Amino acid sequence: MATDIQQTTTRIAEIIINELKLEDVTPETFDADLDLVDEIGIDSMDLATIALVLRDEYGIRIDEDDYPKLTTVRIIAEYISTKLAEGK
Amino acid sequence: MYKFSDIIAVPEIRDRFEKVRKYFFMRESTYDMSNRCNIRCEGCYYFQGDKQFAEENKNVSDWKQLMEVEKERGITFVVLAGAEPSLVPELCQTCYDVIPLGCIASNGLNVLPKEIDYRIHISVWGNDQTSLEIRKAKNMLARQMENYDGDARAIWVYTFTPVNIDQAREVTKLLAANNQQITFNMFSSPVGYNGHLRHTAKTLAHTRKIMSELLAEYPDTVIFSPYNIVAHTHEQGLHNLFSCSYPRMNPSTDIGLGRSFRQYRTDLKWDRDAACCVPDTDCDDCRHYAAGSAVVTARMYRHASDPQTFSAWLDYVDTYLAVWVKGYEKGSNLCRELIEPPKETDH
Repeated sequence: MATDIQQTTTRIAEIIINELKLEDVTPETFDADLDLVDEIGIDSMDLATIALVLRDEYGIRIDEDDYPKLTTVRIIAEYISTKLAEGK
Repeated sequence: MYKFSDIIAVPEIRDRFEKVRKYFFMRESTYDMSNRCNIRCEGCYYFQGDKQFAEENKNVSDWKQLMEVEKERGITFVVLAGAEPSLVPELCQTCYDVIPLGCIASNGLNVLPKEIDYRIHISVWGNDQTSLEIRKAKNMLARQMENYDGDARAIWVYTFTPVNIDQAREVTKLLAANNQQITFNMFSSPVGYNGHLRHTAKTLAHTRKIMSELLAEYPDTVIFSPYNIVAHTHEQGLHNLFSCSYPRMNPSTDIGLGRSFRQYRTDLKWDRDAACCVPDTDCDDCRHYAAGSAVVTARMYRHASDPQTFSAWLDYVDTYLAVWVKGYEKGSNLCRELIEPPKETDH
């Protein structure tokens, strides 16, 4: 389970790096607890794009009301794990 | 259910998505520039509620400081509105000097200096006879066109009310003959307004028909899309269709408009509980073009259900950028059908 979460965390970091075209950081070095809004400067449209890529990757639906909660890579990973466990 | 990657694999969709996403950085706020206007229109939003009584701050230094703080806060796009910004061009210039991306809402009766290179939205509420009756201003369209002849900043914003729907035809024809652009707005009732300008199901349907005809007849003049027509003439207002994301209706301060948007009054104060693009509008009746520009645009996720629905959303965003950002060229509409807006649970 811990390994699954770690893999998901790394993959989410990779998606964010690709979508935001971030430089000088790799999925492995990305701080999973970094606040995406306050520290990366991500906005709602960026997050919507990332959510769509995650929807493709994991086959889950992300509620619009849940966006504001998805503030770090770790939180997103836990959110996805919960959704997958619920079978959504 | 389509995968997002499959949707944007369609070349024309991918190209349009890449075109519009370059502007995802835009973060707006709006500012009342003065508490005065040179005309007084029935149903004017500025002269509703208590914002009209805010004391006017005419101090250029104060405005410069505000803009610098706004820029620091992450605001990249300013909307200068109420009551009539052209009465205080020096303040508009100050805003432009600090944040060079924005738009001014004006009645077009005064020319704004060319140095203020914002998009300028010139309000039109029908033909000149109707303008005289509702806005108490003579020869309004002729004077507006003379003032902004050949001015790439200008776009006319035609507000449909129940009494001017068919007049949009002669106004659009005249603007087309003068190589001008027009986009469409819907009269949305201020809180407590139950006068004859409030739309009904019948007038919404008639407006939809006229908008569709004008878009088909004047594709180079009318900056709009079939999905704009659906969103703004639907019997349900924008909030019911898309769940408004402006602070007034959105308690979240975590991300998006709920986090960054402010509506400053002319005394440079703002109130989160009243903050939206057109304060004092009855949210259940809101079909404002300004509201849709943010509210529909923000709902990308739910529109990414299939190529047609996503194309309609892209048309809406492409229209929004062409109307609000000077120099942005609108592409041809990708979705020609009038499709029903998706619900949040559809995707």
